[in-house]
Amino acid sequence: MSLIPHVIVIGAGSTGSATAHDLALRGLRVTVLERGEIASGTTGRNHCLLHSGGRYCVNDKEGAIECIRENLILRRIMPHALELNDGLFVAVSDEDLAFKETFLAGCAECHIPAREIPVRQALEIEPFVNPDIRAAVQVPDGVFEPWRFCASFLATAIKNGAAVRNFTEVKDFIFQGHTVTGVTVLDHRTGETETLGADMVVNATGAWAGIIAAMAEVDVPVVPTAGVMVTIGERFNNMVINRMHLPHDGDIVVPIRNTSIIGTTSWRVTSPDAIEIPREQIDSMRQAGELLMPILKAGRQRGIMAVARPLISKANADARAFSRTFEAYNHRSQGAAGLVTISGGKTTTARGMAEKVSDIVCGELGIDAPCKTRTTPLVSYREFYN
Amino acid sequence: MSITLTLRILRSRRDVMPHYETFEVSVSDAANVLDAIEQVWAHRDRKLMFRHACHHASCGTCAVRINGREKLPCIVPVADYSGKPLTIEPLRNFDIVGDLVVDMAKFFQNQQASDFVITRPTENELVGKPIAYTGGMDPESASTIPFNRFENCVECGICLSACPTMAGDHKFFGPAGLAAIKRQLDKTTDPVERKRLLELADGEHGVWRCHSAWECTEACPQQVFPAESIMALRKEITKKHFRELFGK
Repeated sequence: MSLIPHVIVIGAGSTGSATAHDLALRGLRVTVLERGEIASGTTGRNHCLLHSGGRYCVNDKEGAIECIRENLILRRIMPHALELNDGLFVAVSDEDLAFKETFLAGCAECHIPAREIPVRQALEIEPFVNPDIRAAVQVPDGVFEPWRFCASFLATAIKNGAAVRNFTEVKDFIFQGHTVTGVTVLDHRTGETETLGADMVVNATGAWAGIIAAMAEVDVPVVPTAGVMVTIGERFNNMVINRMHLPHDGDIVVPIRNTSIIGTTSWRVTSPDAIEIPREQIDSMRQAGELLMPILKAGRQRGIMAVARPLISKANADARAFSRTFEAYNHRSQGAAGLVTISGGKTTTARGMAEKVSDIVCGELGIDAPCKTRTTPLVSYREFYN
Repeated sequence: MSITLTLRILRSRRDVMPHYETFEVSVSDAANVLDAIEQVWAHRDRKLMFRHACHHASCGTCAVRINGREKLPCIVPVADYSGKPLTIEPLRNFDIVGDLVVDMAKFFQNQQASDFVITRPTENELVGKPIAYTGGMDPESASTIPFNRFENCVECGICLSACPTMAGDHKFFGPAGLAAIKRQLDKTTDPVERKRLLELADGEHGVWRCHSAWECTEACPQQVFPAESIMALRKEITKKHFRELFGK
């Protein structure tokens, strides 16, 4: 019997991966359980946008401040999994132009470095942006590769003693009284069911958090909200091109490698698994993307993806109005001590989410171990397989 | 509009002998083959093992064989097959973990052997148009870190599966690993590092093992051109041997 507490992390998306890394660095025994491939949920199918926070700096300042803080940390700890080419917010209409001062004030308030550049110069940097733009502001957006993002955190966690079991699905929680003491899992590799004991369990399953929590008969207010993205098989922009207005469908073109990804729509779904892709959404989003970059009309469609984001329900608002911030829930008060859920947020803020939930885990275990992930460089994602 | 598709999937597990299993699924006519595989998992058999993450040919995880050809199913429209049945099999020349999942451990060790960095400095043009950069916005490194790109290679393993040499020699370093060595060689002028990289590519399981079938370049979904890299490495290594012969 080891005296070091054992923590099970359910989910190997960005949140679970970063949480495993954080807890392993604090000296805990960690086992990650993931029902499929790592990053095969929301993280994989996200927009790959390393947010500067510019997108949220007017209507969701809390989310924006989290984004810029984490953006700057990730640049230091995982430079090998990032494309860093900045972002450009462009005003396409009179209304966008009128929004410019509000946007710049929002950036300043959230401490997002922002620099207005003359339109002529912006078009020299980005020759395929709509030539009729009225204003352009450069911010430190970036791009990450989602699978390598998770693999980098997990590889580092493994180096620090964590075990990662993908294709291992949690089927039920084990209780002693009102305390979660482990889980029952099905290992898809062997077809065998087994039980694993734990001192704490972290539910880091994002849009699936409600489904996992329900197994322990507790609630989390996560609303799976789908989005579609379309990948064009050619790269037409160096920076991330954003429309300078409140977030809306089809108002961002994220370049990655030799492609451009147009995103994104937003609608509520009942189940986050295998979302059907509505063709009309693809068409309307492509049209909106073409307003930012007319050349996209000629681009060959390479891929389409749809996935559910985990939005935290705080009020009866429409999907876009939800904050993109994150929440941790300690289920002790609901009769499930030993179980904590972390959800909401974005891949950009995964490290911060991990810090928050790991603080709760250590508090519950009575362990005084500070978070070290802000300054600890991650090892190569390839070491995930070592 | 949705269409009905028949997928014949090669199933296997540690305790299950390999066999084909046929599934019918309904998918949107806008869907890709990966969406159809995911529908099988979601609505027919939750035990199906397959790898996937980004769904836009960036992560390289989903590679399989569709009707005998190596593909990234995330960028292959179901419409390409006009409703004909699809046979989905795991990559060849890898150990099978289960169903469509192969063991990538050795592949990634070879990718890492050359310290192949997955990013590279960017070009000065976009689709033939020159671009003029301003300084970056990262407050700590505004002028020190140039803008960059991810390398074309997504490390999917398709080239190893398509490679006939790989089928005959499991110790062969493989097209992706050799292409990675070539890219890393292009990025360095350090003579010690260049020597190390050329030695890594040399030898009976290195570039000389390749039978020049060119299947890797043919199958690569990302324009990495591994066969061309192997030929270029052969030239560099031959030059190195000649120089050594004359004591230079």
